[in-house]
Amino acid sequence: MFQLIEIQHDALVEVFNVGVGRAAAALSSMVNEEIILSVPDVYFLSIQDATTALNGGREAPKVCGVSQRFAGAFNTNVTLMFPEDKSLELVRLMVGESIPLEQLTEMEHEALSEIGNILLNSCMGTMADILNSEMHGSLPEYQVGTPEEILGISGNNISDLVLILRINFILEKLKLQGYVAFVMDAAAMEDICRHINDYLASFAHND
Amino acid sequence: MLKITQELLIGMLSTINIGIVLLDSECRVVLINDWVINHLETPEKITNGVCFYTVFPKMSQGRIHEAIKMAIHHNLSSTLSPSLNKSPLPLFSSPLDRKKGIRMQQAIQIIPIQLEDAPRYCLLQITDVTLSIHREKLLRNQALLLREQSYFDALTGVANRRRFNEYAEDEFRRARRTVSPFSLLMIDVDHFKLYNDYYGHLEGDHCLKQVAMTLARTIKRPADLLTRYGGEEFAVILPDTNREGSYTVADGMLNEIRNLKIEHIKSLTSPYVTVSIGAATTVPKKNELVTDLIKIADRALYYAKGTGRNKIVFATEEGTIFS
Amino acid sequence: MTEVKTILVVDDSKVSRMMIRAFILDKHPDWIIEDAATGEIALEKIRTIIPDLISVDVNMPGMGGLAAAEQLRAECPQAYISLLTANIQESTRRKAQELNVGFLEKPITKQRIEQMISILENN
Repeated sequence: MFQLIEIQHDALVEVFNVGVGRAAAALSSMVNEEIILSVPDVYFLSIQDATTALNGGREAPKVCGVSQRFAGAFNTNVTLMFPEDKSLELVRLMVGESIPLEQLTEMEHEALSEIGNILLNSCMGTMADILNSEMHGSLPEYQVGTPEEILGISGNNISDLVLILRINFILEKLKLQGYVAFVMDAAAMEDICRHINDYLASFAHND
Repeated sequence: MLKITQELLIGMLSTINIGIVLLDSECRVVLINDWVINHLETPEKITNGVCFYTVFPKMSQGRIHEAIKMAIHHNLSSTLSPSLNKSPLPLFSSPLDRKKGIRMQQAIQIIPIQLEDAPRYCLLQITDVTLSIHREKLLRNQALLLREQSYFDALTGVANRRRFNEYAEDEFRRARRTVSPFSLLMIDVDHFKLYNDYYGHLEGDHCLKQVAMTLARTIKRPADLLTRYGGEEFAVILPDTNREGSYTVADGMLNEIRNLKIEHIKSLTSPYVTVSIGAATTVPKKNELVTDLIKIADRALYYAKGTGRNKIVFATEEGTIFS
Repeated sequence: MTEVKTILVVDDSKVSRMMIRAFILDKHPDWIIEDAATGEIALEKIRTIIPDLISVDVNMPGMGGLAAAEQLRAECPQAYISLLTANIQESTRRKAQELNVGFLEKPITKQRIEQMISILENN
């Protein structure tokens, strides 16, 4: 199983915390409310194990997923997932209209796409800044389904690895926990590691 | 092989029904198509090479600015949804809207264009979604209206207030005609606000559903009707039922709810969810109205709440109250 | 040549602590750098050291950066305190002002750290 050594893991966690932190600032200025985002943990799993982890102990939970493809320094398909009911509550809070949940519409799904887009771009943009890894990102795609369905779509291979970020999202009294799943192959894993090592080397020379 | 000439491409850009703005890496306008020009506040030609933020000064801060930066500096695409970004650009769907100052609802996508060995360009694509949003609002309002016109409470599945009002009137009138006893029970969940605050609204809804189902079980006769009267209040219409009969029903309900043993830590009355019931019976006389009886039952309920809750209180029009 | 300063770096990320240490020592190899991975550990450390500057990461487990900064401000009135965060919102600015601390935007770069310590160099 793929493992990073502690210092590499630490660097990756920090990169993502800065990424979601910036996303929180951007989202906050859109709604004039305090938003706090953090990445408590990061881990690598096989696609099978990832599906189990993303199910969070439940049978086949419905999640809202926002996916984007990235290509460049490394290639990966990234999806942000939040439980369905919480996602719609989040959108309702951000859009600011008191619409009952069953009445959320296409327009609000687009809002969730944008929230995902801001979060994912912020993560990748920060990665590019810190790890010097330029990538092109596609527009977001919105899907509702089980984590297995969402990861299974877009032609991922069984041998692929999934980098999972656990994300905590706080807006007003709403607290949600979601995941960001980066599906990548062995080549992408190597690329990421190389970028992290170069980054660590750049300031370690003083020790 | 059909040729695509530059003239053809330019012709296409001026005909399509989507806004296109192309910026270079310094945010200067390389191309802005006719659709955008025609939907501006004052349609006028925009000089090639002018800075985007000179044409649209208010865009220099905010989501569009951030998205353009993402595209040019990081080669990342962004989408702006109309619900989170209310009409950021000064565009108008029609001359009438322009006159009224009503901006077009816009769906915007900001995408980098990276050609080989060239600095990055940034494409803004703008779609007018005003009609779609309008249509959605109409549909939504219609759905809400339909729901209100129905007789059922969406959450609990029992009859709603509207049904109560109609049935109460009808049965009260019949009771007056046939000179028969008409009883009313007003039931309120004790300390429900505390329940909601502590356990959350989803649990609160679940609790109400359970209470409704339990109350419904104790209604035996087809003429009897259980309705959801308010947030945490239920009302039961018992035609052809005297005081004794209504007491039997009310007592059954009180105990069934107690037996549910739904945990309610914050209740000041009991460790479990309880209800208070206000009851009133009358044989309707000529000028008596059902609203009078409702008031009396309400008074009884109020008294029950004031004397410890988790009980039944009867009231009559003479003002006598006993429990 | 400025006198020797003591800096306390509070951040749960080891890499961040390493970076800040490296950037400061690059410019001032004689300065003393102490670090703490949480607010709680930082409060322990200030019993035995007197920092001239404390950098506090906002996003930390335990008491968190804001609570830590508040207590550190009370315990070390003479120290310059800088909040480090990627999430610069209106509420963050306000809190920093209320606590009488500065803030610095993440990601950590050489320029930003040099800017942070410049306040010690000017004295």
